Amino acid sequence: MDIDPTKILIRYNVQKEKAQTPEQMASEMYPSAEPAKTISAAIFEGEEDDVIEGLEKAIEGGADPIALIDDVLMPGMKIVTDLYDQGVIFLPNVMMSADAMLEGIEFCKEQSGSVPKPKGKIVCHVAEGDVHDIGKTIVAALLRAAGYDVVDLGRDVPVDEVIAAVKKESPMMLTGTALMTTTMYAFKEVNDRLLESGIKIPFQCGGGAVNQDFVTQYELGVYGEEAADAPKMADAILAGKGLAQLKDQFHKH
Amino acid sequence: MVKRYTDMAYKAADDMIFGKSVYPVKAELGLEVGAGYVTAEVNYAPRPEAGVSKEKLVSEYRRLTTDIMARAVQVGFPAVSLETEHVEQMTNNPTWGGEIAHVQKTILEEYHEEYGIKCGLRHTPGDIREDRDLLALIGKKYDILMESFEAVAEGGADFLSIETMGGKEILDYAILRNDIPGLIYAIGCLGSMDMTMIWEDIRKIADKKGRIAAGDTDCAQANTAMFIAGGLLDKNLAHTIAIIARAISAPRTLAGYEAGAQGPGKDCGYENTIVKSITGCPIAQEGKTSTCAHSDVMGNLVMQCCDLWSNESVEYHGEFGGTSVQCWSETLNYDAAMLNVATETGNAKMLRDILVLSDKYRDPQGFVLAYDNAYKVGQAIVKDGDDIFLRAKNAAVASVDILNSPEAKKLSMSKFEVNALADAKAALDAMTDEADTFMSDSLEKYKAEVAVFRPDANYKF
Ligand code: B12
Repeated sequence: MDIDPTKILIRYNVQKEKAQTPEQMASEMYPSAEPAKTISAAIFEGEEDDVIEGLEKAIEGGADPIALIDDVLMPGMKIVTDLYDQGVIFLPNVMMSADAMLEGIEFCKEQSGSVPKPKGKIVCHVAEGDVHDIGKTIVAALLRAAGYDVVDLGRDVPVDEVIAAVKKESPMMLTGTALMTTTMYAFKEVNDRLLESGIKIPFQCGGGAVNQDFVTQYELGVYGEEAADAPKMADAILAGKGLAQLKDQFHKH
Repeated sequence: MVKRYTDMAYKAADDMIFGKSVYPVKAELGLEVGAGYVTAEVNYAPRPEAGVSKEKLVSEYRRLTTDIMARAVQVGFPAVSLETEHVEQMTNNPTWGGEIAHVQKTILEEYHEEYGIKCGLRHTPGDIREDRDLLALIGKKYDILMESFEAVAEGGADFLSIETMGGKEILDYAILRNDIPGLIYAIGCLGSMDMTMIWEDIRKIADKKGRIAAGDTDCAQANTAMFIAGGLLDKNLAHTIAIIARAISAPRTLAGYEAGAQGPGKDCGYENTIVKSITGCPIAQEGKTSTCAHSDVMGNLVMQCCDLWSNESVEYHGEFGGTSVQCWSETLNYDAAMLNVATETGNAKMLRDILVLSDKYRDPQGFVLAYDNAYKVGQAIVKDGDDIFLRAKNAAVASVDILNSPEAKKLSMSKFEVNALADAKAALDAMTDEADTFMSDSLEKYKAEVAVFRPDANYKF
């Protein structure tokens, strides 16, 4: 017994696939000048050795290592995250590109001896009692890939520790992940404790169990549906958006 | 030393069918699993508020158990099985889990006595062997876990299960990087080592208490791959890579049977069809009836060889049709009735094949897990059954070959899926066949790359 599957189902991913390959699309986005072109391609491929080699050449040629971070590494990574946002490439490519880019940043820092000014600092955590941390790891990776300085508190993080870290790090935003209906209530407590201390930073919450209705129950909460919303929200904060505007933008339901 | 499987339990894929296994198991209250009929296995989770104290939890489980049994007799179902997946408090305080098992079993006994309904009870302690960011597979937590098994067995649980996490620290890293050797190392090697240790001990407890060491699942890794892969339009993991991880989980789950598990395997182990082809032990499965817990691209197909049919998990609360456990148990039981009619009327294979064809071409994952292909993966595993590395690699290679075979031409794959498959094949072709080389290379690589990897503490390297 067999069947013609087109009679009973549609693989929409096949139907919707772009005519161009991701590689073709990426290469159209690379800057035309060297070394940016080669380094961008190396980032896209996730080849850290080639990234370093390109940076070495550029520095030998007189480029300033810190300028290379902002002018070459970050724009190169943006090509990757843009293609991910457009649904052209998949997450593992982003992770591998981010690894390569971050090695490049470390290399530039070593070469210059000085530390570049990051776009902003963000604290990430998984709710107390919850070990489901893959979503959080993705969020942290995408934030780093977008040039943010991430303080990753890990999983099953007690509320006290979250508050202490926020006080110590003074981040521009906090993220929380919860996959269990039993653990997500910790977010309300984090919210209350932050407010008690007079700290009013946006607190983006996501993860399987969390939904928009729940997050709207506490003042600092902004719902994050998918990991890619984290860097988007950080960018929106840098662009000057306040809590109300952030909720407006990210509360899609 | 455990004895590894080097042969198939079934002579041909076509011999595999729902409701029947080569080695059925029997619970205390008349229920036989894999003995010719399919039974519903109802799963549930307490409301968050119920977790605050032992009394509240016990009362929650008392109510939901009564609800399920009451509905089963109202609609005239001949059998039902229940699975209690522990919330963390129940495992960390072994007496809690033990008392809940006892309360549930007492209710089942009352219904069994009054109506003759056949029933079974599975308890699944949580794998609590971790310490914040680190796995802690061996040591104090292990001992508490074993106490929990003792307590639930003593309390009356017929089937002992767990969803172990061995290998997880590497999988989480590898799966986000398309790292195929990493999948084999995490699931096939580290996972199987942990399984061998823990299932020998669970079996001892089961034997001592007269219970059944049922089985494990690679939920922690295979289903993480499934979740990250998501639906057709999700962009987090190629479905052709996800199925490789899911196929490698079969030799891992198999290691539990080699160390003493007897079935029924756990519902969320989608690798179970492969495992059944090798062991002949009964399995639980979940599919269209577990949409309350997660979405699925093979909701009908997974019924193909199930012996218990489950809903994975639903929070206990009210619905228009009764409580959630009543609604879902009724749906499960009606499915079981349909399958059993097919068996009674000699149409079982026809129904099996209809279920399979509903999803075989929906996604590469379903294609490989369809029983005819699952059987081929099983054969690849037992070919080198004595070598836990090589058999895991074989499972990966077999899945790739199945997707590249001429029979797969009706499965339309995106360029992206095809390319990811080609990359995976290249990675597999480049791998060694030597277990020793692979193990020592991997140990070095992941020690350097994965900060939370503690090989000595967790796997006694
Ligand atoms: C994998 C998994 C596990 C793994 C986790 C491994 C790990 N390192 O994370 C293991 C095996 C360890 C595990 C254990 C348990 N699990 Co579990 N697990 C899952 C499963 C199958 C998939 C979760 C997952 O990784 N998804 C993929 C990731 C990528 O998704 P995500 O985290 O949601 O993230 C995405 C978005 O939400 C977003 N996002 C996430 N965070 C944030 C934050 C921000 C700011 C933004 C913008 C976006 C964002 O980004 C991501 C991608 O876009 C789910 C099933 C389900 N339906 O979710 C059950 C599930 C979450 N588990 C469940 C349970 C019950 C457990 C256990 C208690 C089982 C037990 N008896 O032991 C234990 C819990 C232990 C504990 N104390 O936490 C239940 C929870 C039920 C409930 N109470 O709500 C679920 C729902 C399964 C079910 N249907 O019953 N589990």
